[in-house]
Amino acid sequence: MSRTDASARSGTAAAGDLWRHRTVPAVRFRHRLVLFALTGAGLASVIRLADWWFRADHVAQPVLFVILSLAFWYGIGRIVLGWVNHVALVRTEHRAAPAAMPVAIFTTSAPGEPLAMFERTLAACARVRYPHQTYLLDDTRDPRFREMAERHGAVWLELVDVPGAKAGKINLALALTSEEFILVLDPDHLPFPEFLDRVLGQFDDERVGFVQVAQAYYNQSGSFTAAGAAEQTFVFYGPGQMGLQGHGACVAIGANCTFRRGALESIGGHGVGLAEDLVTAIRLHAAGWRSVYVPEVVSRGLVPEDLGSFYRQQLKWSRGVYEVAFTELPRLFRHLTWRQQLAYLTIGTYYLSGATMLVMITIPYLYLWTGLQPATMRFAEFLAAAWPVAVIGACMYGAVQHWLVDPKAERGVHWRGLVLKVASWPVFLRGTVLAVLRADVPYIPTAKRAVRGRFLRLAWPQLALMACYIVTLLQVGFVRAMRTSEASLELSSEAVWGMVGFATLPILAGLGAVYAARQAGRPAERDPWESVDVTMIGGDA
Amino acid sequence: MRRLHRVGLTATLIGGGALAVVAVTSMSRGAEGPVSSGLSWLGAATRSIEHWARQRIAGPGRAEALSWFAPMRDDVARLRNPDVILLGAFDTGIPQTLDGVVHLEQELGTTFPLIQLYAAWGDKPEQRFPRSVVGAIADLGSIPMITWEPWLTDFESARHPGLLLPAARELHGLAAVARGDYDFYVDTWAREAARYGRPLFLRFAHEMNDAYRYPWGPQNNSKEEYIAAWRHVVDRFRLAGAHNVLWVWSPHVAYEYWELYYPGTDYVDWVATGVLNFGPIAQWSQWWTFDHILGPKYPGLASFGKPVMVAEFGSLAVGGDRVDWYRKALSEIPARYPAVRAVLFFEVAADQTVTYQKVDWTVAGDSVLAATIRQAISPWAPQNDR
Repeated sequence: MSRTDASARSGTAAAGDLWRHRTVPAVRFRHRLVLFALTGAGLASVIRLADWWFRADHVAQPVLFVILSLAFWYGIGRIVLGWVNHVALVRTEHRAAPAAMPVAIFTTSAPGEPLAMFERTLAACARVRYPHQTYLLDDTRDPRFREMAERHGAVWLELVDVPGAKAGKINLALALTSEEFILVLDPDHLPFPEFLDRVLGQFDDERVGFVQVAQAYYNQSGSFTAAGAAEQTFVFYGPGQMGLQGHGACVAIGANCTFRRGALESIGGHGVGLAEDLVTAIRLHAAGWRSVYVPEVVSRGLVPEDLGSFYRQQLKWSRGVYEVAFTELPRLFRHLTWRQQLAYLTIGTYYLSGATMLVMITIPYLYLWTGLQPATMRFAEFLAAAWPVAVIGACMYGAVQHWLVDPKAERGVHWRGLVLKVASWPVFLRGTVLAVLRADVPYIPTAKRAVRGRFLRLAWPQLALMACYIVTLLQVGFVRAMRTSEASLELSSEAVWGMVGFATLPILAGLGAVYAARQAGRPAERDPWESVDVTMIGGDA
Repeated sequence: MRRLHRVGLTATLIGGGALAVVAVTSMSRGAEGPVSSGLSWLGAATRSIEHWARQRIAGPGRAEALSWFAPMRDDVARLRNPDVILLGAFDTGIPQTLDGVVHLEQELGTTFPLIQLYAAWGDKPEQRFPRSVVGAIADLGSIPMITWEPWLTDFESARHPGLLLPAARELHGLAAVARGDYDFYVDTWAREAARYGRPLFLRFAHEMNDAYRYPWGPQNNSKEEYIAAWRHVVDRFRLAGAHNVLWVWSPHVAYEYWELYYPGTDYVDWVATGVLNFGPIAQWSQWWTFDHILGPKYPGLASFGKPVMVAEFGSLAVGGDRVDWYRKALSEIPARYPAVRAVLFFEVAADQTVTYQKVDWTVAGDSVLAATIRQAISPWAPQNDR
């Protein structure tokens, strides 16, 4: 899809629609029945697949077989965990917010962030209906920010040279303020007037420490990267978090979490680090606080529009998520319920897919160059054993889309998200290696504005893989035309060309990433927030 | 909606559904589902494209050396009564590669018109009709000869609830074959063989008169049961239109009463036996020449009026002069055993089927022996390179 098509699609009618408050449908008994049935059938088919996979006959090279099995079953394991999560899916009942709760909105600005964006954010904050006080936590040293904050009725707090980036500023601001409830708002997010009314009622329960809302975007049609990055989050911010809620483990992640001051204070303030939100969530859970997920669109923000920003965001998150897995999770493990343990383990190992993708990518090359193969499995047999898992997985994916927060915009097969995920393996892998080595990743706020990325710097891993693929194809062609005996040619044909086909799949995903990298070379002329009219935000869909 | 429309719509939906079912089912091949069929079609297409591309690049290849054989190769009638001695071999590299066969050919200075492979009955994918090997052999210019072994216990009970439990299947197993209990399997082979279409030798249930080797022997089955099973299998193939199959009846002539297992002249195209000299390595054995082994039995074998095949031909090296064994054997065959029309080398390096220790039947690698064989078969024109 070309850029112009994409912008045409988000024309005025759709754009107006984008800014309406939305909630998900109720979870009825019949829905739950379907989810249970699918999960049951899915588990049965996974057992059947395992029974086939782990046959001694299938082991060709023991070490490689173990590696391949780990990579493959990591993927299947994640699918199963997704099903188990979806079975518990609940929709939190709305509770009316009592009057006169003292509530603050914290939003942070950093040097280099665009003033025009804050103009809209603060205007939108001012339009949030429930009485509140907005604070701008500013370290830009730019007087225009102060002027703007005051113009929108926000309190300007100058917090320069604070260690710990965003979270450091939040903790300092906590000491300077007294409101009992604090919404930590990402500066690129425009809250709807309904925001606090939809959230605050949940704090009726004294045990609730934080309330997280859905995350939605307004620039996802801006580029291939934006569409893919947004697609990757659709299921998580609908049925995914609703399932976690059902398991008592919904997490503060992404943006726009509202905290109880007492909760934050009980853990010594907002967590600091590359995944500060997740660190805060796990500490609160360990301290016994409950979390509530409100599956509603009450704000919209920005998703990375260019591939470079997406990669940086993913690298930062991967490092942060591993920090939770390596540091917080072992320390707090026994303070969590088993479902929370499972949830954080699942989240903490998300970026392992970089390593498993590497395994999957390497296998065909290993075979084509050295003849080594991990397993003697026939592809037809594999399909016969695996198709029920795939079909049930697809059915489940379709079924849970019922609870997407914005079904009209978000329903679909999300192929761009898949392409981007498969192609991001070098970034995921780098995050994994850095985490294991305890190497530092500098804190970079996710870019608010599409950054002009250098094509080669973004695309080189994919281009290198493609070069490797082409060289391998030439080698295979040469060997088969010139070096393979006639008596072996036909009997090795299926295996060799099957492996070539297997090697082609990541190349297709790589083409998507190369396209995204090319697009990143010519970012949009207009910033996404320029077309947003803050007075049009809000109201029910 | 009017009633007529409703009826029409319903009929269309049912009809469309039925057509879809028929279409999807017809894509499958017997026990193989449509997906597997599609994949194997894709595999076959890849194989033939590669074979074709190779011929364009590297020339005609091995098949050219067999051009003398080409007219006979697709003529079942001539193959029932060949006017030359056809050489062949089995090599343990099969089914991964036919390189071993070609290597042996190079040492012996010949190109084999026949290539043997072994296939066991059962559910596993490698027990299906070996489409790719058969196709590869044909593309190399030869005819495949499949020794087809009815191991009845290799069918899973869960998939075949109509069968007895594996432990109970072998006793009178051939009676069950004759009854049609295994037609689900036999028929898939018959269909595949018919689809393949070109001549193909099938040596079914060989050494059926040896009570110590295979479960289809006389310890489990009577002669009558064996003959009934043989005829039933042949009939199933004929019913499926597989008239391209040449049936090779292959008793173990060292045991008594083998003549009584003959299924009848209408059901047999070739008569075969193995001539393997184990030498003194086993108690029951000593150094026997080709004449010792085949001589006394030959009149009986030839009496059926069919061409005779030495389906497994070889001598071990221990206990005698192997070179001499082969020289004598090969030079005597044309004159003393005129009905012998095929000799197949048994290129197996670690055979343990009969003895406790592994024995080596291979010819390749022994240059003196290879030169001797080359010389001995040189008068058997036209198949040898000169």
